Amino acid sequence: MNLSKHDPETEMEMNMTPMIDVVFLLIIFFMIITDMTQQDLEDLQLPMAQFAKEDKPDPEIYRPIINITFDGRIVIKREDYYVPELDDLNADPYIRVKEWLAQTAKKMEKNFIQDGATSGPMAPDEPLLIRADISTPFKHIQKIMEFCGEQGVQIWKVQLACSVPESEGPAE
Amino acid sequence: MSMLAELAEDKAEMEMTPMIDVTFLLLIFFMCTLKFKTLEGKLSAFLPKDVGVNQMDAEPIEKVEILMRVVKDGTKLKRTDNGTRPYTSSDTGRYDWGSDRQMEYNVGPFRTNDLDALRTKLAKVFKDRSGDDKVPATIDARPKTVYEDVVKVLDQAIDAGFTDITFVGAYPDHIE
Repeated sequence: MNLSKHDPETEMEMNMTPMIDVVFLLIIFFMIITDMTQQDLEDLQLPMAQFAKEDKPDPEIYRPIINITFDGRIVIKREDYYVPELDDLNADPYIRVKEWLAQTAKKMEKNFIQDGATSGPMAPDEPLLIRADISTPFKHIQKIMEFCGEQGVQIWKVQLACSVPESEGPAE
Repeated sequence: MSMLAELAEDKAEMEMTPMIDVTFLLLIFFMCTLKFKTLEGKLSAFLPKDVGVNQMDAEPIEKVEILMRVVKDGTKLKRTDNGTRPYTSSDTGRYDWGSDRQMEYNVGPFRTNDLDALRTKLAKVFKDRSGDDKVPATIDARPKTVYEDVVKVLDQAIDAGFTDITFVGAYPDHIE
C-alpha cells in the first residue's frame, strides 16, 4: 500500500479558534491597562507653554495629581471632590479636598523646612501636580494653593501642567 | 516496520496551547514593566514654605511682582468641528475665550497689554538684578483670569530666567 507521505514541514493545519481568542484577549488587555494608567489624568485641554520642562515623573516617588475642569469641578482619580453648585451649599465646601490634601501630605516624603537643618518641623518635599483646563478660572487654582499652605498640609512645591509644542521636542 | 520508524522520526506535532500560554505570559510581563508616557509638560512654582511656622526676620529681598488683570473678557466661544462660534445661552459645556481677550500686565510702575512687551520687561528686570541669583517673582492674578492666562505669564517669567515663582492667594470675586 502506498502511504502517501505528507511533507511534515510545509503542511500544518492552522486551527483558527485559539487565534481569535488571542486577538480578543489582547484587545481586552490593552483596553483595561490603558484605562488604568489614565485614571489620574482627567480629560482636559491644557494650555500651551513653550518653556515648560517635559514631564518625566520618577515612578518611585509618589506625586499626587489634582485635576480642575473648566467649570471648577475638582476631580481626583476620576472622583468629584468638589462640585461648584452642589458643594457650595455645605458648611465647608472644600472639606473633601482639604482632607485629601492632608492625607496626601502624610504619604509624601518629607524634609526639614529650614534648609540644611537636622531637626525641627518637616514638610513634604515632593511636588503636587495641578492640571487645569485652559478656561478654568484661576481662582480655583489659587484656592488649592491656599489649602496647600495650611498647617496640616504644607505642600510648598507645585507644578502646573501644560502641553508642550510637539515640533520642538522636550524643552528644558 | 521501517515506514513507522520513518514517520515517528520526521513528524513533529505543534501544539498550540502552550504557545498561547507563553504569549500571554510574555505580554503580561512586558505590560507590567513598561510605563506609559503622556505628552505633558510641567511648570514649577513654589508656595510660601514657612506658613504657620515661626519665621526669622528676613532682610528685605528684591522682589518682582507681576500683576495681571482682565481688561476685556473676549467673546465666549464654543468649539465645533469646523472651528469656533459664539456661545449662545442654550450651550452647555466647555467654552473658550476669543482672541479679542485683553489682559493688562503690571510690573511695578510698568504697564502693558502685550505679552511680548511683558517678556522684554521681565528679561530686563532679571538682568538688572543686584547680582543675587534668586530673585523671587510673584504672580498676582486678579479675579476673572483663567488658567491659560496665568500659564502664559509663568512661561514668560521662566524664559526671563526666574526660578523662584510664587502665587498670590484667591481674591473675593468682587475685587477687580
